[in-house]
Amino acid sequence: MMISDIKSRPIYRDLAPEPTASGHLLVVEGETLTPALLAAFASAFGPVAPRLHIWLVGGPQDVGAHPGRLWRLGSLADVEDSLSCASRGFGIGDRLYVSGTEPFLWRVAEAAGHVGFASGQIQLHHAGSLRRRVWCTHCHSITDDVTTHIADCAGCGRHLLVRDHFSRRLGAFMGVMVDAEAPGQVPAREEVFA
Amino acid sequence: MTLAFKPDETFRGDYTYRNSDAAILRFPFPFPEDRYMYSVNIEPHTRSGPTDVFRRPFDVDEHYIAECRDKAITLERDPSRCQALPHMMLAQWDTLELLMESLAADYPAHFALIKEGDDFGSRWTWINRPLGIEQSFIFGNPDTLPCEPFEYITRQAQGDFAICDQRDNNLFMDAGMVTSQADWSLAFDVGMSFMEWHGPVPLAHQAGVFERALKFLLMLRLGQPMRRLNWTMTINPRLDTSPESYPEWGPDRASLTPDNIGRKLHLRVELQTLWRLPRSNAILFPIRCYLASLDELARVPKWGARLHRVLSTLPPELVDYKGLTRFLPTALDWLAAHDDGRELPIGIEPGIATLTPR
Amino acid sequence: MIGDTLLLRVDAATAIAPTLRHLRLVAADGGKLPPASAGAHVQLSLKAAARTHRNAYSLVSRPGARDAYEIIVRRVEASRGGSAFIHEQLAVGDTVEAAWPGNLFPPVRTARHQLMVAGGIGITPFLSYLAEFGLSGASHALHVCCRPDEREVFAPWLPEGANVDFHWDADGHRLDIPALLAAQQAGTHLYVCGPAAMNDAVIAAARDAGWPDSHVHCEHFGTALSGGEAFRAFLARSGIEVSVGEDESLLEAIERAGVAAPCLCRGGACGVCATPLLEGDAEHRDHFLSPTERESGRLIMPCVSRARSGRLVLDL
Repeated sequence: MMISDIKSRPIYRDLAPEPTASGHLLVVEGETLTPALLAAFASAFGPVAPRLHIWLVGGPQDVGAHPGRLWRLGSLADVEDSLSCASRGFGIGDRLYVSGTEPFLWRVAEAAGHVGFASGQIQLHHAGSLRRRVWCTHCHSITDDVTTHIADCAGCGRHLLVRDHFSRRLGAFMGVMVDAEAPGQVPAREEVFA
Repeated sequence: MTLAFKPDETFRGDYTYRNSDAAILRFPFPFPEDRYMYSVNIEPHTRSGPTDVFRRPFDVDEHYIAECRDKAITLERDPSRCQALPHMMLAQWDTLELLMESLAADYPAHFALIKEGDDFGSRWTWINRPLGIEQSFIFGNPDTLPCEPFEYITRQAQGDFAICDQRDNNLFMDAGMVTSQADWSLAFDVGMSFMEWHGPVPLAHQAGVFERALKFLLMLRLGQPMRRLNWTMTINPRLDTSPESYPEWGPDRASLTPDNIGRKLHLRVELQTLWRLPRSNAILFPIRCYLASLDELARVPKWGARLHRVLSTLPPELVDYKGLTRFLPTALDWLAAHDDGRELPIGIEPGIATLTPR
Repeated sequence: MIGDTLLLRVDAATAIAPTLRHLRLVAADGGKLPPASAGAHVQLSLKAAARTHRNAYSLVSRPGARDAYEIIVRRVEASRGGSAFIHEQLAVGDTVEAAWPGNLFPPVRTARHQLMVAGGIGITPFLSYLAEFGLSGASHALHVCCRPDEREVFAPWLPEGANVDFHWDADGHRLDIPALLAAQQAGTHLYVCGPAAMNDAVIAAARDAGWPDSHVHCEHFGTALSGGEAFRAFLARSGIEVSVGEDESLLEAIERAGVAAPCLCRGGACGVCATPLLEGDAEHRDHFLSPTERESGRLIMPCVSRARSGRLVLDL
């Protein structure tokens, strides 16, 4: 489900810190952080550890050994606040690395864009569930935590087929009424984004 | 050129939209050959072309008043059909200037633009006689118009408009007025890069079509607009076939029968043009939609026969992408009666000067 | 707004410094010119005795102006003809053919701050930037590196309220490029226009400071290195063999032979002159072809690229 013919579908890669950058900020969705992932971060970010800050959002109380300075944030909203309130602002040479589920990645990326980060300053790494955020084409509501290929819209209640067409700005996939042409004919739901 | 407008025709509800004989003969029929060929098929948008619709930068036809009214209805129901990101203000003025100058020059009986100067800060007066508008404003000052300049002028133009900002060797769809689209959502796509908004199009990505098209567009020159045709099919003469309103028009696809398909099924052709904008360096992408029913098209013998042959050779991916699956067999049966198998000349012109009266 | 060539008349010509000539060009038919964007250029066809020079110059007139295009032309010491022609031969009242304006160096309007670095006459594209930023209120700073005596030459061209600093080669007045670049906030875009060495230094400093490539912009006009070892090229369709001298470009040699080759920026940026290469090993110096296109060895940009060795055969 991470690979698609549709070219708006982002491709995620392992995080690779850029040595020339001035500051490095790694934002991690805590519930997706496994010991193996932490070990991978420790090895990748070792060389830039003196200039690394990690924001851990929720998740385990006891993280163990990690590179850089670790800060704990309660929620995505705290990340958005902290990005916009960072006292000296962010520099054009800084880099942001984000790891987590797809909705998490794009909410952080969107907030970073608002404080001036260019897409070339941001790396995204997918971890954890494949669940999707779905945008209803008909009422424009967002439905979160979608794991099936057909989902009920949280706004208008229509049965939406979840397409692969993806909006980075909304961090969401397009949902289109599945039975518009033949009302009532809704295929069985399959769990595909677990 | 004086046009006989049909102000009362409708594109929803009772669907009273029809083409006059003259409108049929000037239709931008999109198939020059019997086989369907996907290509970028792009050519200079000069003041010439195989039918009359190609011969002015921005075509105005007998449906002008009715289309502007339908656009207003759609916008009232869903204001998100018009969007412009904040950095696009210069491109908004570019669009207003290009449209006002072109319409006033090509249709002096219907439009006039009186300028006290060319620079920002000059007082301009715009007269749109078909819609009964006279508006004085300060060029460059959005507060002197009833809405932002892009929305103001594109409410008074047929067809959709997207503006692409050019940066980082890419194009970003950062503004749009989209009320007569073939099933794509501006509210979803706004801000997307060229490859992202073309994401759902099948086959062409693999053929490298979009890479070449993007490279070409990045070099598009001021004063040298380009054009291409695109097409799909729509049930009923409906302009607003957006994904937003799909629950309204989706059921129509199942409503076609051999008896009503000639009247209800329409070939929907987009005359897409591409303009480098002078002050912003952005690219304006007007998408002008023309609709003609199978009944109307078949009155041009060459077109009835050719449409039959082209639809018979469509790759299955495109049948699906264009949403033709449910009714294509019925359409082919209907069109077969209009195809006697004779050889047809290459080209899209109708090949006749008048239609046989019905 | 459809067209490709303009006939311009020299309405005024002023020496603003010993090596700088300002031209005001109007439409020869007395009509209006197409508006142009900040950073735009106009390419003039200068018909000198030996050949026609097609040189592009940044417009210094306010963006959107339709009454006149203004340019400032520096007399290049080793002039290959264009600038010498403008300084010595072009007179008020003369007409000049020009292409409609183009723009290979537009400002990015999503920027949160616009940082410009100019070297000498490289200030010209930024004059139109400053005019636009003055109107839009965009946050900006221009740093001009020049000789001390050039300050008075450029100062009258700067709009009131523009944020401009001059730097020159004396203690306390040099521009500390690494320090300037390290201090910039996220969302800043950097533009540099000056001599090739300065451009290269600023771009390298930006890389070292971790700037993303998307936020670093350079005007490559006429700054690309065009000379090198002499070589020969055969134009297959024309059946002409040309020899390319050490201090001329392949494009110039083609033009000297009387073969019309499409071109625009003459700096390897725009892609207009890309020509099929039938035989030979090219030394690519352009900014246009992709790595794959270079490797395929099937295309060359004759405005800047040369032969690595031996002879080239072009489909021209």
